[in-house]
Amino acid sequence: MKASCKWLRELGGLDASADEMAARLTRAGIEVEAIERFGRGLDRVVIAEVRAKRAHPSRDKLTLVTVFDGKGTREIVCGAPNVPAPGARVVLVEVGATLPGGLAIEAREVAGVRSEGMLASEKELGIGPDHEGILVLGDDELGKPGTPIVAALDLEDEVLHLSLTPNRADCQGHLGVARELAALFGKPFAPRLTLLPSKLLSVLPEAPLGTRALPVIESGNGHSGETASLVAPVEGVPMTVPIRIPAADRCARYVGTVLQRVAMAPSPFWLRYRLHVLGQRSIDRVVDVTNLVLLELGHPIHAFDLDRLDGHRIDVRLARAGERIALLDGTERTLTEDDLVIADARGPVALAGVMGGSESAVRASTRNVLLEVAWFDPRSVRRTSRRHGIHTESSHRFERGVDPAGVALAQRRAASLLTTLADAVCAPIGVDAEARRIAHATVSLEPDYVRAAIGDPSITDTDARTILEGLGCAISPGEHSGWRVTVPTHRPDLTRAIDLVEEVARVRGYDRVPTLLLRPEPRPDAGPSRALLVRQVRRAALAAGHHEAVNFTFLSAADLSRARVSTDAVALANPLSEERSVMRTSLVPGLLANVSRAERHQRPRGRIFEIGRRYLPSAGPTGAEERLTLSLVAFGTRDEWLGEGPSVDFYDGKGAVERIFDALGLSAAAHVADALPGWLHPRRAAEVRLAGTPIGHVGEIHPDVADAHALATRPILAELDLALVLDALAARGPRQVRALPRFGAVVRDLAIVLADDVTLARVEALVRETGAPLVEDVQLFDLYRGKPIADGQKSFALRITYRDADATLTDARVDEAHGRILARAASELGAQLRG
Amino acid sequence: MTDAVQEFEAGLARLGGDVTATFEACADEQALRAANAKLVGPSGELTGLLKLMPKLPGDRRKELGQRANQVKQAIQTAFDARLAAIARALREAELSGPRIDVSLPGRAVRPGGQHPITKTIEELLDVFASLGFEISESREIELAEYNFGRLGFPPDHPATDMQDSFFVKGRTGTQVGGGGDEAVVLRTHATAIQVHEMLARKPPMAVVAAGTVYRRDDDATHSPMFHQIDGFLVDKNVSFAHLKGVLTTFLKRTFGAEVPVRFRPSYFPFVEPGGELDIGCTFCRPWVGAGSDAQRARTDACRTCKQTGWIEVLGCGSIHPVVFESCGVDPAEWSGFAWGMGIDRIAMLRHGIRDIRMLYDNDIRFLDQL
Ligand SMILES: [Zn+2]
Repeated sequence: MKASCKWLRELGGLDASADEMAARLTRAGIEVEAIERFGRGLDRVVIAEVRAKRAHPSRDKLTLVTVFDGKGTREIVCGAPNVPAPGARVVLVEVGATLPGGLAIEAREVAGVRSEGMLASEKELGIGPDHEGILVLGDDELGKPGTPIVAALDLEDEVLHLSLTPNRADCQGHLGVARELAALFGKPFAPRLTLLPSKLLSVLPEAPLGTRALPVIESGNGHSGETASLVAPVEGVPMTVPIRIPAADRCARYVGTVLQRVAMAPSPFWLRYRLHVLGQRSIDRVVDVTNLVLLELGHPIHAFDLDRLDGHRIDVRLARAGERIALLDGTERTLTEDDLVIADARGPVALAGVMGGSESAVRASTRNVLLEVAWFDPRSVRRTSRRHGIHTESSHRFERGVDPAGVALAQRRAASLLTTLADAVCAPIGVDAEARRIAHATVSLEPDYVRAAIGDPSITDTDARTILEGLGCAISPGEHSGWRVTVPTHRPDLTRAIDLVEEVARVRGYDRVPTLLLRPEPRPDAGPSRALLVRQVRRAALAAGHHEAVNFTFLSAADLSRARVSTDAVALANPLSEERSVMRTSLVPGLLANVSRAERHQRPRGRIFEIGRRYLPSAGPTGAEERLTLSLVAFGTRDEWLGEGPSVDFYDGKGAVERIFDALGLSAAAHVADALPGWLHPRRAAEVRLAGTPIGHVGEIHPDVADAHALATRPILAELDLALVLDALAARGPRQVRALPRFGAVVRDLAIVLADDVTLARVEALVRETGAPLVEDVQLFDLYRGKPIADGQKSFALRITYRDADATLTDARVDEAHGRILARAASELGAQLRG
Repeated sequence: MTDAVQEFEAGLARLGGDVTATFEACADEQALRAANAKLVGPSGELTGLLKLMPKLPGDRRKELGQRANQVKQAIQTAFDARLAAIARALREAELSGPRIDVSLPGRAVRPGGQHPITKTIEELLDVFASLGFEISESREIELAEYNFGRLGFPPDHPATDMQDSFFVKGRTGTQVGGGGDEAVVLRTHATAIQVHEMLARKPPMAVVAAGTVYRRDDDATHSPMFHQIDGFLVDKNVSFAHLKGVLTTFLKRTFGAEVPVRFRPSYFPFVEPGGELDIGCTFCRPWVGAGSDAQRARTDACRTCKQTGWIEVLGCGSIHPVVFESCGVDPAEWSGFAWGMGIDRIAMLRHGIRDIRMLYDNDIRFLDQL
């Protein structure tokens, strides 16, 4: 919402500066995001009167205009098509001036003729949207030639950009903001609004049956009909229109007022300018008045072309399914039975509170108008607005709730402005259909509660009362020592005592709330936080040399299938795009995208991990199971001291997993698995088990998946479920240590040649079992394939550590054990001692 | 007999004469050892001399043997001295010789870089933990009832526009519940932790939770997925002043005790009174030389705070009675406060990240810098 400070001052009788208003509003929760200043940078721009004009000697698009600037005359070369006749007033930019757009005006020759300044358009001056021609002032605009236009046209203004929270419906118009400011500055609020129509029909009609008359002149306020001139009604044009509200729960009140003989014409400059500074376009006098009332009172109103309302009647009803309406925005909509419409005898003429229909809209030929001022149910307007994707100044305000008691004020204000500005003649009464009365809320409030809830014993009863009354609340004695607070209808957000507490705190200023500390009571049975356990995993992955990634958790179904992870995914009903329409079932697609990006940017090597959730469809209450997961990728070449080593392979991935679990004090091991996920190489991957339970996989990417991602490298991937890991971490006690050995060890190497398919695990198991209890450790220190070893065979070089915990080991015992191992390896594994 | 004595004595005299000079002439250890071997090695001069011993007369043998031994000792001493001198010279040469190139890369396993989001979350959670809050977590795919309804969002209310949500498709392929409380959404804030905790156990409680949240926004400053820390405290006689005290302490500890904090009213359906806490812009630091021309110029040029000198960091308020009621907690007995803060912008501020997309692109050239 934008608010003109000049307008606020006019309405509220305030004299605060824009900066003061902004600071006070922000401090009270109505955040001012920016202050836009108007009427600046227009020095040496003055009113001038056209004295003569003649054609340019050589250019037919140019006119030579002689203007009088209050001191003398000068000739200006002007390219605009609308140079007015002598006597009219225009705006002269004097030589030496610089326009807001940065254009500096100098005396210069234009096609051989000297021009002493420039005649400017609204747009060039930054005071309106029009750039079709130069600004020509109407007769009703003030200003003698030579007067600076800033003063003559009253251009100086500041516009506050308010960021309104949705609860502050009352500040959606200048009147409400002015009322708020008055309360904040502790001033009484008596808005200065002209509510008197200048022309009335000379006949007093009666309200149709079932409705009441709402006079456009409030009785008993000192005004009476005689200050308005009386004009005879137009033959054949109704003075009232019957109104029915079958959808009573959607529309509490609807007032329709007839105005005849409207003059459709462009609005005067002041009105155009007011709309301009508030970011609105001027259309014509009638539409501009409805917009002005909306901006002023925050109450959206609508003007129908009365002569286009079929049957001259209004029904406020729900649409019939399939009913259609052509709207002012040029679209045609098919309605549902949940859409509230304004209908004439033929069908819908407006989407209630959202947008008018194009058929019934006012236009240049309009002569008679039906003015709608109503109160529509906020939820109804919101549902229609969202269903059809139409967000308007009107729907925005109705959704948040306009003041139900403001209907009569809006009717009178609009009638007054239309009679004055659009020369309309107003019917003395509007037809007032009131389906239900929206009562003032009353709230019980204990002043002690205010102090306790805020935590400020220094707030007196008088402080609280002054603030609440300043906001329009009426306070009467309630039960015991409490108050009965009657809340004004423009504050539908105040429904409970705590809401009033906020008002007191807010208007006093949160900077005055005391600062108290309290210490939460520790809970003895609180277990270890999972977040802290996750941190241990993160530390371990970082220490293993992996960068941490945080990828989007939603991606496209194609991303899932390309990475060959599960496509049975949780899908979004309203994604922003196909690219982010399903929840990931694996972290692998994200990591592969990271690898792909790195390769594209000539950084085709690295190690990345992510800890995050995967989302798997389940039968649970939300239909999804969220599994905390650790995934790793290593790609490109291995690090060497200088330069790069060979490409990473399965063992880099396995090593990373082992390193992470070592750091966590847990033991995880890779095992051959028959079933591997589709993203892994069927021959170069393993299942990872934690204490025997599978928790995930590690291995080389499936080459087809690498190809599908157009990868140049073959990344090594791992994906591990963290649930069991965190449980194991939580259960893991401190690391336990063994006593140091008292006797020395004997180390023997064993180099054997084996068939290629004999795994190290089998060899190691055999060594440990056969050499028990003397074998303490077995390390593979060389693996060799190639000459002179036959194809299909390999050589393992093992370093075996023998130790007797209780005695010094003799060579004889070691020889015996070593020999036994070799013999068994030969007989069971076909091993031969390597020569 | 006498010949042998003479020869022996002459040999000893020769050997004992200029052995030091002989050794001094040796430039390195190899030459020294060769020279030494010529004297005392298996075929060395002294060894040869000692072979004469049996030919010596018995009465001189002992005396000459002792002299030979003295000569041997002297050679050994001279050898040791020269060997030490040569070693020392080598050491001196090493110590004063060419330096290594210390600018060559170190040979280390480099740890990976932690993502700014998780780093920031960890540090902020630590501060709350130090203030006595328990760290918890809850689900991201959430019932609308928990994300909105029980938190006091009225149905069809513009307040939900503040948090435009992603709905989850039902197993049948349509939107679950059509937007009512039974719908399933990607949580728009981590605030539902209040509902989960209050339904699970009895107050008092003080809990903080961080996590991924989602809103249907995607522009230069909004990512549809981002991160939040939400927390709340419920106890007896908790006032708005406690909220101000605890959260101000948190902000001062996090951003520095010198950073000013501003508290102003705002609106969230699940709190009342509601507010926002701003900190002084940590980029242009308007409290340094406040009011001076230099400070004003700094702030006027600051894009981080859009020239205001303040940065919004945290939304908060006293827990709305509606939330207590919807979670079965009696608001007449218990009161409390809650807050939520976005992490992404704080992470960006702390790490000098200008473009929010950098946070989620995971470009390796970005991660390398962390
Ligand atoms: Zn700044």
